[in-house]
Amino acid sequence: MSREIVFRTEADMPPMPMSIGTTLTNKTGTWRYVRPVYLDRTAPCNQNCPAGEDIVAQMDLIRRKRYRQAWELLVRENPFPGVCGRVCPHPCERECNRIEVGGAVAIHLQERFLADRALQERWPLPTQSLTQDGRIAVVGAGPAGLACAYHLTLLGYRPLVFESAAEPGGMMRLIPEYRLPKRVLDAEIGALVDLGIAIRTSTRLGESLDYADLADYDAVFVAVGQSVSRSMGVPGEDAVGVIHGIDLLERLRAGQPVTVGSSVVVIGGGNTAVDAARSARRLGAEVTILYRRSRNEMPAIDEEIDEAVEEGVDIRFLTAPVEVLTTNGRARGLRCVRTVLGEPDESGRRRPLAVGGSEHDIIAETIIPALGQMADVGFMEGKLDLTRGRVACDAAARASLEGFFAGGDVATGAGNVAAAVGSGKRAALAIDRYLRGESSDDLPPVNEAVHAVHRDQDTTVVRLADLNLDYFEVEERSGEKHLAPGLRLASFREANLGFDEVSALREAERCMSCGTCNRCDTCLILCPDVAIRRLPDERGYEIDYDYCKGCGICAEECPRHAVSIQEEVQWTK
Amino acid sequence: MSYDIPDRELMLSGHLACPGCGGSLAMRLALKALGEKTVVVIPACCWSIISGAFPYASLKTPLMNTAFETGGAMASGIKAGLEMMGDTETTVLTWAGDGGTFDIGLQSLSGAVERNEDFIYACYDNEAYMNTGIQRSSATPWRAWTTTTPVKHPKDRPKKDIVAIMAAHSIPYAATATVAYPEDLVHKFQKAQSIRGAKFIHILSPCPPGWKSESSQSIKLSRLAVQSKVFPLYEVEGGKRYRISVWPKKSVPVREYLRRQGRFRHLTEEDIEVIQGNVDESWKGLLAKAGEEARATQVA
Amino acid sequence: MDKVMMGNHAVSYGVQLARAQVIAAYPITPQTQIVEMLSEMCANGDLDAKFIKVESEHSAMAATIGGSMTGARAFTATSSHGLALMHEMLHWASGARLPVVLANVNRAMGPGWSIWSEQTDSLAQRDTGWMQIYCESNQEVLDSVIQAFKIAERVLLPVMLVLDAFVLSHTSEPVSIPDQTDVDRFLPPRQAKYKLDVDDPHSFGGLVAPPHYMELRYKIQKSMEDALDITQEVDREFGDAFGRSYGLVEKYRMDAAELVLVTSSTITSTSRDVVDELRAKGKKVGLLKIRLFRPFPVEAVREALADAKKVAVIDRNISFGCGGIFASEVKSALYGSRIHPPVFGFVIGLGGRDVTPASIRKIVEHVETHDEPAEEIIWMEVKR
Repeated sequence: MSREIVFRTEADMPPMPMSIGTTLTNKTGTWRYVRPVYLDRTAPCNQNCPAGEDIVAQMDLIRRKRYRQAWELLVRENPFPGVCGRVCPHPCERECNRIEVGGAVAIHLQERFLADRALQERWPLPTQSLTQDGRIAVVGAGPAGLACAYHLTLLGYRPLVFESAAEPGGMMRLIPEYRLPKRVLDAEIGALVDLGIAIRTSTRLGESLDYADLADYDAVFVAVGQSVSRSMGVPGEDAVGVIHGIDLLERLRAGQPVTVGSSVVVIGGGNTAVDAARSARRLGAEVTILYRRSRNEMPAIDEEIDEAVEEGVDIRFLTAPVEVLTTNGRARGLRCVRTVLGEPDESGRRRPLAVGGSEHDIIAETIIPALGQMADVGFMEGKLDLTRGRVACDAAARASLEGFFAGGDVATGAGNVAAAVGSGKRAALAIDRYLRGESSDDLPPVNEAVHAVHRDQDTTVVRLADLNLDYFEVEERSGEKHLAPGLRLASFREANLGFDEVSALREAERCMSCGTCNRCDTCLILCPDVAIRRLPDERGYEIDYDYCKGCGICAEECPRHAVSIQEEVQWTK
Repeated sequence: MSYDIPDRELMLSGHLACPGCGGSLAMRLALKALGEKTVVVIPACCWSIISGAFPYASLKTPLMNTAFETGGAMASGIKAGLEMMGDTETTVLTWAGDGGTFDIGLQSLSGAVERNEDFIYACYDNEAYMNTGIQRSSATPWRAWTTTTPVKHPKDRPKKDIVAIMAAHSIPYAATATVAYPEDLVHKFQKAQSIRGAKFIHILSPCPPGWKSESSQSIKLSRLAVQSKVFPLYEVEGGKRYRISVWPKKSVPVREYLRRQGRFRHLTEEDIEVIQGNVDESWKGLLAKAGEEARATQVA
Repeated sequence: MDKVMMGNHAVSYGVQLARAQVIAAYPITPQTQIVEMLSEMCANGDLDAKFIKVESEHSAMAATIGGSMTGARAFTATSSHGLALMHEMLHWASGARLPVVLANVNRAMGPGWSIWSEQTDSLAQRDTGWMQIYCESNQEVLDSVIQAFKIAERVLLPVMLVLDAFVLSHTSEPVSIPDQTDVDRFLPPRQAKYKLDVDDPHSFGGLVAPPHYMELRYKIQKSMEDALDITQEVDREFGDAFGRSYGLVEKYRMDAAELVLVTSSTITSTSRDVVDELRAKGKKVGLLKIRLFRPFPVEAVREALADAKKVAVIDRNISFGCGGIFASEVKSALYGSRIHPPVFGFVIGLGGRDVTPASIRKIVEHVETHDEPAEEIIWMEVKR
């Protein structure tokens, strides 16, 4: 009962002072000069995910045991969680606010957990019927090309994908079996094919596919990757027994017999180098990695490096080859020098300088350079502008030729699956806008990931200092199951086994949901004015501004900084 | 729901508490715990005003306003009357401030609990006569500013230990609680409701105007009070069995609690040391009573 | 059943017959026997009531109010300093419109300590919104307790029943105790319309701002005015049921009285004897007993004194700086009428000093020998 009560005469009044109505007539909201507003902000994991996943939302769904819903949310952004959940460098975890409170949330393992569950349960990808005209060609069926084709399909298109190799997958195919089992990759690519994405394999740009063919299409997405392995630039590198890293991995992928002998040296510090080294170990060799900088600068994923060491790979830092030693045109070892780190170069890393008089030789039957890859831009020259050896494009993925878009490693050089997915997604959204004659100005800048599903969030990133740590206790991060190192070397069986549901739930509970309301009820319970209500359908809360006095307790106590205080005047103009 | 607290609301919006009032949140939580079969007795205190002016009320339970010093006596009469009217289930809750509990109402409280009247007496303690404009009570902490204990004429007496006084009456249950630990507060009220006889709950209730603190800090202050051991959370059963209910997770110096309140702004370093010393000593004493001396140096 | 009993016990029997449900009391001489007997009655199961042994009179009234607020029938008793200590809560009872009944044994106020009869304690509370009934005999006491509950529950104001210390409280007289069944018929269980009830919750007694407060006070006064008729009705009903009525006032041998003594409490019975004596000598002396003091029975007083040539009000009390309180009230009642006989205000018997037939005779003599009162206050039997 909240009507205003008016007494005309004393006869209308009760005989003694007693209530006959409630204080709901008293709109204490008029007392306010600031007001709380529910405003989701960006968690650092979300900001850092190159594939543009909504990690916080996924964590929340896992916490509520809605695994399928979590996976469905995930694949609206990234169709390769099984791949990324195994091979991604997980920049999300690097910035996780939980690092100081027991260790980063195991987001990487959560992704794998969902993907594995999806494969087990055979959950289908979201579907979309053909609703758009517009013929689109995607050149390259690596993660960027496939992600682009996928998102275009969800937007109502039916792009055609051309792939130079016999199988789609691009660089993902070269990831060794012990890291990424073929069945996982095949399943996730198979799901895309089931969606209606047509892939024409064994079709190479510049050979069976040329510009005249591409002119038939309304838009073309070039995502041919970086497939050319850098040469060492030292004498003797053409000798027999020098196999580039990606070539070794390709042979292993193709099931070809490979012998590397009993001693192998891998040169390089990236994931390809580590993949080659650990593969060589499984082929029975003693393996040494030479890297010209220190562990700090080594670009490979930390866990990969640790596991390589566990498997007996010897890593020699601050060592660089100067010559391949050969006998009768056959490699027998490397002459190397020690290095020291000087001033940083253009990549920001400290330049290695050879130490005079430090030459020494290392014996090896097989030498595996893995010094990074470059784009094969032969076909692009003259047609598409290049910058630093890659196809130049803007924040809307547009290349210099009308109707041409570029993404993935050929444009960004980022070198990981998640970044490629993000790049392909950006291109898909850009192509869609282009074909409908709309501006792409709303796409985020290149250093921010693109979201296929709109998120109602402020872009301010929430850091540890923004959280209310009174609500969190130190809880150790859950661990992963691994095969014992001895077992691992016996074959190419998957070395890391992810974690179980109990751990998944524990990690989801550990997620602090930075910046995003996860309906913990803290604000609801602590409002002295009962001015916060639950919204139906678990959508969170709303504030009853008729009564909210603007005390600010909800904003102060919100464990995750999802309530902000704003000046009342800007609301009451 | 991530809090083990009943959903039901028995307090309405539109009440007249200051923004950030610890006492209003405390009432909300207490009534969630006790439910609608509760009669609330309110002697003169902030809640006499907060509850609303005639002819409006902010509680959904029956409420008896009464004179300042009668919290214990009024509840005694109401409980007797309810039982004579055939209602043996309804809980009688006296809800009084520190003035009506520690000072003017002490006799009536003592009489009622000595008779072991079957009711819950809750004191929401904002540590001064706040309703009349911040004058000192015997609940005011040592050296806290109030209008009657200005800086040049400070309160040189310690805060009266009301729970010890209650324990000395050998009542079935006495406890402390505060709003930063809402589940603990709710559970204590539920526990009190399940016991026959006199129950006393002492609730620290931050008061932004009286403590000269930001309204948004009320929960944080009550949490710091517990973590710094200025206001430990514990229970006493039968006047003898002490049990600490919340162990501070980390060792927080009293300074952290004091510096956020303008009423302590004038304290010197020496004053703060004295306060820290007193808090440490009281904590040791409480540990001894609870048989927990071994945990004296342990923090979590 | 007839029984010889002291005035205090007459109160107890009355309370028992009225089936009070909540009793909260604190001992004070000379009230103690009231509560001692009630305590025994409760312990023996002769009275189904909760007896709260409070720790002070202020708490006694608070607890009585609390009990009454739940819809139960509530009672307390006190005297002198105990009543004074209750003062704040007396206001609360009337403001809350609660039909509590209080028996006050009229005892002088200290310092110095006096346990003996004087009316100042109860009269000093005349502004608190309580009805006040002054009793002359133990029978009247018992009967008036029962009437008091009925009046209170109809008027919705608390009623104070007053009896003299020792002269009534500790003096034994024969009293006829009515039958419980007859009393139940006369006084059924209380039906409170507004009470503390979880099925119909309200807030009682909270903040009332200036726009509303005065109307609530107006209502109290209106109820006080209605109380005059209600008291008479109840008294009549009581008479029909039990054969005894007392009225708001009682006129004794007032036919053609020229000199009227106005009395209350036990001084009344002393005065009756003297009036009989003087009438036998041919003097036209009459007696007006005032039983109901609040609300003051203005019309009845005016009517009774319409033909008096001289009025002598006998007060066993005093309001310092003013005079005897009954005298003030009588003068005030007469002022608004066309009756203006000289009113002699006598103050006598303070601190329990005995008021004898000789005292009354002296009063009559004084009035006969003066045309006008020489002083505002005529002090009797004071060493000066």
